[in-house]
Amino acid sequence: CNRNTGPDESLADFSAEEIFQRGEYELETSRRSASSLRYFQEVERLYPYTEWSRRALIMQAYAHHRAREYEESRSAAQRFLDTYPGDEEAPYAAYLLALSFYDQIDEVGRDQGLTFQALQHLRRLIEEYPDTDYTRSAILKFELAFDHLAAKEMEIGRYYLRRGNFNAAVNRFRVVVEDFQTSTHTPEALHRLVEAYVSLGLRDEAQTAAAILGYNFEANPFYQESFRLLTGQGLEPEARGEGWLQTIYRQALRGDWI
Amino acid sequence: CSPIQRFHGYAPDDTQLAEIEVSRDTRETVAEKIGTPGMMGVMEGSAWYYVQSDWEHGGLRPPTEVRREVVAISFDDGGRVTNVERFGQEQGEVVALSRRVTSTGPTGMTLLRQLLSNFGQFNPAQMLGGG
Amino acid sequence: AFVAPADAQTYRFNTIAIEGNIRVDDSTLFGLAGFARGETVSAGQLNAAYGNIAASGLFETVEFVPQGNTLLIRVSEFPIIGIVNFEGNRRIDDDVITEFVQTRSGRVLSPSMVEADARAIAELYAQRGRSAAEITPRIIPRGNNRVDLAFEIAEGNVVEIERLSFVGNNAYSSYRLRQVLDTKQAGLLRWFVQRDTFVAERINLDRQLLTDFYLSRGYVDFEILSVTSEMARERDGFFLTFNIREGLQYRFGNTSVVSEVEGVDATDYAAELRLRPGTIFSPTVLDQNIARLERLAEQRGLRFIRAEPRFTRDNRNQVIDVEFALVRGDRVFVERIDIQGNTTTLDRVVRRQFTSAEGDPLNPREIRAAAERIRALGYFSDVDVDTRQGSGPDQAIVDVELEETTTGSLGFSVSYGRAQGVGFGISFAEQNFLGRGQQVSISFNTVKGSRDISLQFAEPALFGRDLRYSLGIGYRETSSFFSDFDTREAFLNNSIGFPISEYGRLQLRQGLVADRLTGLPPGGSLRLRDDEGGTAVTGSLGYTYTYDTRRVGLDPTRGWIFSMSQDFGVGNQSRRFVKSEGRAGYEMAIFNEDVTLRGDARVGMLHMIDGNSRNRERFQLANVMRGFAPGDAGPRDFASENDSVLGGNRFFAVQLEAQFPLGTPEEYGLSGGVFADVGSVWGVDNVGRTGITMSDDDGTDYNKMNIRAALGVSLFWDSPLGPLRFDFSRPVRKLDRDRAQNFDFSIVSQF
Repeated sequence: CNRNTGPDESLADFSAEEIFQRGEYELETSRRSASSLRYFQEVERLYPYTEWSRRALIMQAYAHHRAREYEESRSAAQRFLDTYPGDEEAPYAAYLLALSFYDQIDEVGRDQGLTFQALQHLRRLIEEYPDTDYTRSAILKFELAFDHLAAKEMEIGRYYLRRGNFNAAVNRFRVVVEDFQTSTHTPEALHRLVEAYVSLGLRDEAQTAAAILGYNFEANPFYQESFRLLTGQGLEPEARGEGWLQTIYRQALRGDWI
Repeated sequence: CSPIQRFHGYAPDDTQLAEIEVSRDTRETVAEKIGTPGMMGVMEGSAWYYVQSDWEHGGLRPPTEVRREVVAISFDDGGRVTNVERFGQEQGEVVALSRRVTSTGPTGMTLLRQLLSNFGQFNPAQMLGGG
Repeated sequence: AFVAPADAQTYRFNTIAIEGNIRVDDSTLFGLAGFARGETVSAGQLNAAYGNIAASGLFETVEFVPQGNTLLIRVSEFPIIGIVNFEGNRRIDDDVITEFVQTRSGRVLSPSMVEADARAIAELYAQRGRSAAEITPRIIPRGNNRVDLAFEIAEGNVVEIERLSFVGNNAYSSYRLRQVLDTKQAGLLRWFVQRDTFVAERINLDRQLLTDFYLSRGYVDFEILSVTSEMARERDGFFLTFNIREGLQYRFGNTSVVSEVEGVDATDYAAELRLRPGTIFSPTVLDQNIARLERLAEQRGLRFIRAEPRFTRDNRNQVIDVEFALVRGDRVFVERIDIQGNTTTLDRVVRRQFTSAEGDPLNPREIRAAAERIRALGYFSDVDVDTRQGSGPDQAIVDVELEETTTGSLGFSVSYGRAQGVGFGISFAEQNFLGRGQQVSISFNTVKGSRDISLQFAEPALFGRDLRYSLGIGYRETSSFFSDFDTREAFLNNSIGFPISEYGRLQLRQGLVADRLTGLPPGGSLRLRDDEGGTAVTGSLGYTYTYDTRRVGLDPTRGWIFSMSQDFGVGNQSRRFVKSEGRAGYEMAIFNEDVTLRGDARVGMLHMIDGNSRNRERFQLANVMRGFAPGDAGPRDFASENDSVLGGNRFFAVQLEAQFPLGTPEEYGLSGGVFADVGSVWGVDNVGRTGITMSDDDGTDYNKMNIRAALGVSLFWDSPLGPLRFDFSRPVRKLDRDRAQNFDFSIVSQF
């Protein structure tokens, strides 16, 4: 039988609108959104270059996205943007395109490459379609992805800090302070800089870093810790080290690093 | 049994440092003579630092830093070298790192997801009890 | 075409009529034309409109016909494609081809695109070695301007390499060179083997392989003059001929070190060289010596000191003198190490494989070694490590691109044995537990009479250091189906391993075992009965020191392995013992690394300071040597009902082995081997009492050191399941009562 599943011919004599509505109905009711895809693809195949085929294409992108088929959703959204650039649905397509990267970050959790692409597409959406209702949620997601990248730099900075490669650690934490000021990691980055500079014996650099931390994030617990470190008092109990057995529990079993 | 040695970073030795002339050299000429710094301070225009350290690994005891050279070159507002300093490990302090960590959003691999992803994988070694 | 008067005239049409569009609606056409009814239009705009509509690729013909103040746009549409399918493709299935084809169903038929698709498919087949494939697109009209498109594919058979020959090779046989090359001559299993299909780029890989092969054997002037290939008449085979010029084989002459860096004195660097004159000139030996010189500079606190080799050739007696010049290399730093693609593995598990940190001088050798270590983790199907320029000319960024693979297995097994009935088992093993690089394996099997449950856990980098901690805990039962008693034992052991020198590694371990032996038949051996009576609890502390230079040492083709291990045990029933084992092995690859010779001598002693040894602690002949049946060879108590085997407190074993290719094409992964094992197990303690006789009827004392020997051949198969080994052996010297076991099959564990 031919490539698309299901009775193809019977759809040929339905109008584009009827097939489209069947697809929408299918999307709402059935749990698996893939079944609605068939109808939207049929609309595009039988009635290309019509109003309905435009809407069917965007619905395909949406259905793929709901079925967590991010690759297909990405290509459908991209096809929509290429064939109908000026269309009033274009912001939604750009939004779906950005989401296809963004939603994969949670699933993946570790991979920088995806976060980077999500950031690029979100920024393009914010710049090209500044005042649509997707822009607000795109800005929010941009912040979160941005924070995720900062977290990555911090993770590597802490790795080098704990191993005593202070040079590498300082450079990683400075990247966070300079390129990711708005992220939630800046206070900790400044405190880690204080720790690294003190370890190297560069007390005046440590003082400057602590001053910036105090000036901008005075209430932040990290400032307290920098202050105590510089004034020679030990760390509070909660942040102090403990026996080797507990260290093994925390690192080997719970997977913490510091 | 000789411990395993690891060499990190780079700091110019005295013969190279001798070429730097205070209040004449600028950042560009310093970079040509002894290379770009390993790291800098937080503020713009802060000093340049070259850090080099040798480590010994192996055995039950943690890796220890057996030798560290830190060369600091500071500049005045005009960008001229004001001071060239070299010091070692003695000026550094052993710092207890704070355990507090800014929580990150996405969680990593959970046990359940890893269990499911392995379902049905066949491992020959176990079949022969070698596993 | 557009009929337009010569001068630039402006038009005003108040009605625009469109004719001939079936599928494309008018609004799309107006969108393309770019002007609406009633607008004044210049000739230029009209021309542009015409251009847009024509370029849209929707219409076969486009005509603008001005009739007074109405403009008639007459178009004839390209047909719309209904279904696109492929016929005749057996080797490559539809959805792989569709990726290379732009024509999609629902799109407008554009003849130029269909042509391009046909060429793309042909190229795809050429990629797979079928350059004889022919693709013909066929258009099937379906009425009201819809058509279907079918690509008829005549695949033709794979273009195989019939003959692979060499001209000009006298140092190495063509057979040997074919083994070096990746493309193999079409052998027997022709359709099965992928590697002998003729693909152009593989030839470049072959040229590189051939050059490396010769360079590493001292042929410094080796050159591939040309690679000629003729197509067989029926286009199903190729004759590939490499004609090469080997040149002469060179050896190292005398070597010296000179320093061009003030403050660096060359003499003590010269002592660092390991280069005897007369050894074959090879890039690897050169590289190793350069590494030694540069390492000494680093130890002296100097950075960026490079040892540049300068050659002077003496063609008459084929010798090359090498002068290593110590120079200040250019300063390049590792700015960042960026790791991507690790979806489950934590960044630190990969990053800790790098010995250099960010900000360190760039050492390409270290980066390559780190890439090897990442691959050796076994967590990634693809590891791609390369450096690119960073933010400055002296900054380099190391990019690590990873592709994860499955690292675990979760399986259920159901077994049925006539005697044991139904048994089932569940086993979960993960090499990269939660992405932390830890190894975990839990297994639970139960069949009547023998149940076991065990957990193994290993953390290779405790406290983030090169400190391997492993834990083993479990409970095991064996039943009398295999031996004439039942055992039950629970064990808990911990161990910690760490490097103590470049090739030396020390492991400290603690063991705790509680075991019970029951179900001995009335006629059972008195010595085994000693083990009966309550649970024996034995604790032990031990260490193993291993010194292993194979594969990582200076010369990768040969290496030593020494290991020395001792366990000090103490248990109830006032038992105290020291179990020591020693081992020395040597491995050497000869005949250009085809044949591997292995020699391995092992000796062991279980010294009972106090109390009696238990059966599970003693050495068994079958575990020590090949060719003998487990539980049915070695020291025996002939007073017991079925002469039960007791094992012994002392053993020695010497194994000599040679492994060599079988001449079968390399990609079958088969290689053969011959081995000779000589050894003995003897000296079981506390047997000199009435009721136990260790000598058989004609007086041979089985508890003495009776030498046994076995010869055998083995077959190694690098199967998809893993490296398998089949041993066929025959004892040539044994005691009468020792029972042989002529066949053994196992997964090859690291020698």
